[in-house]
Amino acid sequence: MTTATQCLVHMHEEHHKLEDYQGGVPRWCNGCGDNAILAAVQRLCRDEDLRPEKTVFVSGIGCSSRLPHYMKTYGFHGIHGRALPIAEGVKMSRPDLNVFVNTGDGDCCSIGAAHWIHAIRYNMNLTMMLHDNHVYGLTKKQVSPTSPIGLKSNTTPRGSYLDALNPLTVTLGVQNVSFVAQVVDWIPEILYDVISAAFHHKGFSFVRVIQRCPEFLPKMFEPWLHDPQKTLLLSHENGLKISPALGRIYRNQLEHDPSDIDRAREIASQEDPIPVGILYRNPEVPCYEDIRNAGQLRTPEMIRAGFESELDKFTVWPQGPVPTQVSLTDERG
Amino acid sequence: MDSAIRKEMLFHLTGKRAPDALDAIEELELRPALLARYRDLTRLRYDFPVVLVDAGPDGTFVRSLSEIVDEMLRKVAPRGVDGEGLRKHVLAVEREIRRLVAGGASGSLSSLWERAVREGAVGEGTALARYLADAGASLGVDGEVVDCDASMPRRLFTHAWRVAQERKARRLRSELSRLIVKLNDALRADFVKSEAGSRPESLKAALGDRHQGLFDFEAMSRLVSRATHGAPLSDARRNRIERVLATLRSQRFFAPAVGGSAARPDSLAFEFAFESAGEVLAAFRERLPSMIELTKAMAIAELEVDGRYSEAAHDGFFATFDEGAIGPEDLARFPDYLVCLKGGRVAADVPLMELLSSGVPVKVLVEVDDVLEDASLGKGQFAFGARNVQLASMALGLTDTYVLQSSSSNLLRMRQAIGRGLAAAGASLFSVFSPARGARGLPVYLVAAAALQSRAFPAFVYDPSAGPDLADRFSLQDNPDPEADWTVADFEYADAGMQRVKERLSFTFVDFLACDPRHSKHFARLPCAAWGDDLVPVADWLSQPDTAGSGRVPYLLAVDTENALQKVVVDERAILAARRCRETWHRLQELGGVHSSHAERLLAREKAVWEQRQVAEAETRAPAAAPAATVEPAATTPAAAAAEEAEPARSPDEAYIETMRCSSCNECTQINDKMFAYNANKQAYIADISAGTFRQLVEAAESCQLGIIHPGKPRNPREPGLEELLERARAFA
Repeated sequence: MTTATQCLVHMHEEHHKLEDYQGGVPRWCNGCGDNAILAAVQRLCRDEDLRPEKTVFVSGIGCSSRLPHYMKTYGFHGIHGRALPIAEGVKMSRPDLNVFVNTGDGDCCSIGAAHWIHAIRYNMNLTMMLHDNHVYGLTKKQVSPTSPIGLKSNTTPRGSYLDALNPLTVTLGVQNVSFVAQVVDWIPEILYDVISAAFHHKGFSFVRVIQRCPEFLPKMFEPWLHDPQKTLLLSHENGLKISPALGRIYRNQLEHDPSDIDRAREIASQEDPIPVGILYRNPEVPCYEDIRNAGQLRTPEMIRAGFESELDKFTVWPQGPVPTQVSLTDERG
Repeated sequence: MDSAIRKEMLFHLTGKRAPDALDAIEELELRPALLARYRDLTRLRYDFPVVLVDAGPDGTFVRSLSEIVDEMLRKVAPRGVDGEGLRKHVLAVEREIRRLVAGGASGSLSSLWERAVREGAVGEGTALARYLADAGASLGVDGEVVDCDASMPRRLFTHAWRVAQERKARRLRSELSRLIVKLNDALRADFVKSEAGSRPESLKAALGDRHQGLFDFEAMSRLVSRATHGAPLSDARRNRIERVLATLRSQRFFAPAVGGSAARPDSLAFEFAFESAGEVLAAFRERLPSMIELTKAMAIAELEVDGRYSEAAHDGFFATFDEGAIGPEDLARFPDYLVCLKGGRVAADVPLMELLSSGVPVKVLVEVDDVLEDASLGKGQFAFGARNVQLASMALGLTDTYVLQSSSSNLLRMRQAIGRGLAAAGASLFSVFSPARGARGLPVYLVAAAALQSRAFPAFVYDPSAGPDLADRFSLQDNPDPEADWTVADFEYADAGMQRVKERLSFTFVDFLACDPRHSKHFARLPCAAWGDDLVPVADWLSQPDTAGSGRVPYLLAVDTENALQKVVVDERAILAARRCRETWHRLQELGGVHSSHAERLLAREKAVWEQRQVAEAETRAPAAAPAATVEPAATTPAAAAAEEAEPARSPDEAYIETMRCSSCNECTQINDKMFAYNANKQAYIADISAGTFRQLVEAAESCQLGIIHPGKPRNPREPGLEELLERARAFA
């Protein structure tokens, strides 16, 4: 950008209030943890002054996936399990946009599991929030991959048979993982800080939000809600910083360096107390869209150069040096 | 003092030579002893010749022939005995190329390689010829081969400048292409949404020839027309975009990319290489309006592409857009000017300093061909080409100008610094000592190298973008032994008894002076029989502050054409010149942080203070006493104390919400959205306690899963069911 343009842009920058990001009135149940997540992302958009026309929320199917409707930004409410490939497509074609993904434990860990694994590996610069309420809520109570063993539901009247899948250990086991965090919806301060850290991380940021479902699992998290000792806050100078006020309530804390993946995997395996904070962060992992030069403008010159270069491979040259091959990346300088 | 010594001293002090005691050196073809082994450079592998290559990914624009051949050998010649034969033949080809180039041959590396193979009498069609041809094909790079001669600096810098400009051109072309494509997209989108764009013929044209038969364009037009479209572009906006597009397409600062559309003669790109500073200034002034127009067009285009152009805010600004709005970052996007000057013309080119200080992005090459010119005042002290030698030092005073000084022999090693200078924003000055010809049988390369080694023309770099102070910006690291007065090297010879003798010899300014036949009069050869203890090596002589009346004379060690050692007495004028040269070198060292007098004095002062303090402490230290008890206030951690302070003192009867812990779940606002409201962070607080009942407070507290609502005590003692409500509220006290 030219110096003149920079000055002009700063002179006339718009600043948005939180309400400016509010789309429709949420239809979630009262007490639903989705409300906390919505409030946190709206705060983030306001604090980072994200331009609504440059911000996209992509979702699949589920209660979680209603979120794009409640944000006054671009949104894509996609089909079941396909939030991540849609978000990746958005990012590849428009790497300049801020892309968020909202998905649930069914949408991501069940039908969308394949896309989830490869999204981690591609490490595209997306911020993904897994709204994990441990149940299929929109369809009125069926077990999900993260439901606890023994949970009775419409599809498991005698109780579910299998141990729950742990999204953290799965994510940490995939090549190229670069950011993994876990939060709970009932500590809004940390919810915001972690989502903010996830947004600022360049790469695929996976944030598992353990959230309440007051309608179908009203008592599930009561022990954790009322006993701060059952929450383990992970803090570090390179990770989360705990405010004094919060520290007085949640005294169960652990200093954990987010660059230590082995320790992160250990911590991810434990479920009581719930570890809350940034488990792993590695800013050095390259992003797929950078590797593939996404967003490169296909100018007429570039297209012409590409054609010439391909046709030159089949041309019979007279004796003498072969003309220099023009690289498609030449225009980037 | 015997008469021989007196004659030596007479020559040293007055320059008058007694022919019976001392020989003139004009006809002797002597050279400094340290240059003895460099008779035939074509038999040595060193930095030259160089190959001017197309820029690689790291921006390298020049490589030495030896470096390219070594890299090729690593690829094609297997290690060990098997590859030794090929290695030997390849190196012979390299030697042949070096010989050809030294003899005046020119051409690309590939053509010279073929010629060297041919002229190396390798039989055509033989296996060796094929191997060597394959080796030539594996060189990996090609370009013009240039030896270290008088024309080399100009060719090298011109090539490097073109490479740097092409990189800049690619960046700007990419930017311009992006803006043109995006603006065209905006116009096209507007057309597609318009009534004209919805017509059947427009839709047909958009589809192309191949599948037109498959569609009913009338029906398509009816369907498309029914869809609601956004507002069309206003006339003002359309005109603005079209004007900007015209400016972007017609710019003449960069030529179109290779393979782009053919340019009309009047739209040929501007030329940026000139022969004088005055021409550069004139060209810059002439093109300034075009530069302003293009910068303005790019600014408008970026705002339009980003959707941020506001006519109310920006029209007025752009209406008065002039050169005052163009900053250094804007100038840096445009091509740099290049001007090559010969040292003799610099003095006449008055606008040079004006050009360097003007902010115009210009790269100036000054080729100095003589650093030993006599003073114009006649016989006496040397002026030593002061105007040219000092040019770079004067340019340092401009602070924002990138300055590089070097002799031509050192340019390959300074290629990264040259690249940085050519890429630097603003003005850059490159002052290069490039002898017009060799001297006393020394080729141009050795004369240039001697100037560098002897500190007559030291290398330095001043890069204003490297940091805020001299320690970051100024560097002498490209000089040999930058911390010493003179460079020192090993010298071996056989004495009269054919015994090997090894000495460490300094190469001083006097050695450089001895290379120039114009200054032979300052030297006189001493016959071997007269060699005695009264002779002192020049480097030692220069290190002594006061040599008057010592009864000794300085001498220089030299060799003749038979490589026999000679001792040459040096006169006082040459010594004085060497002392001045050393002083100049010391000034540069100080700038470079070497032997900085200020730093050394500060260090000495601080050391003295520290030593005094140590002594004082030692005197006052009492015998060991009981360690003083730490008087740290025990107690709550400061964070906790601060947190406690931060919490306002509350009455236990007051209703409140721990807002910071609110998870925005809507439970309380659903009960009463007048009493409970969200703050700017969408977290609940009690907005109006009087807007609801105590019952609602208690119900909200019970609904809140986080338990952060505290109902306090009821305000209305007559509220029904208070007893039950107070009981329920106790859990939230």
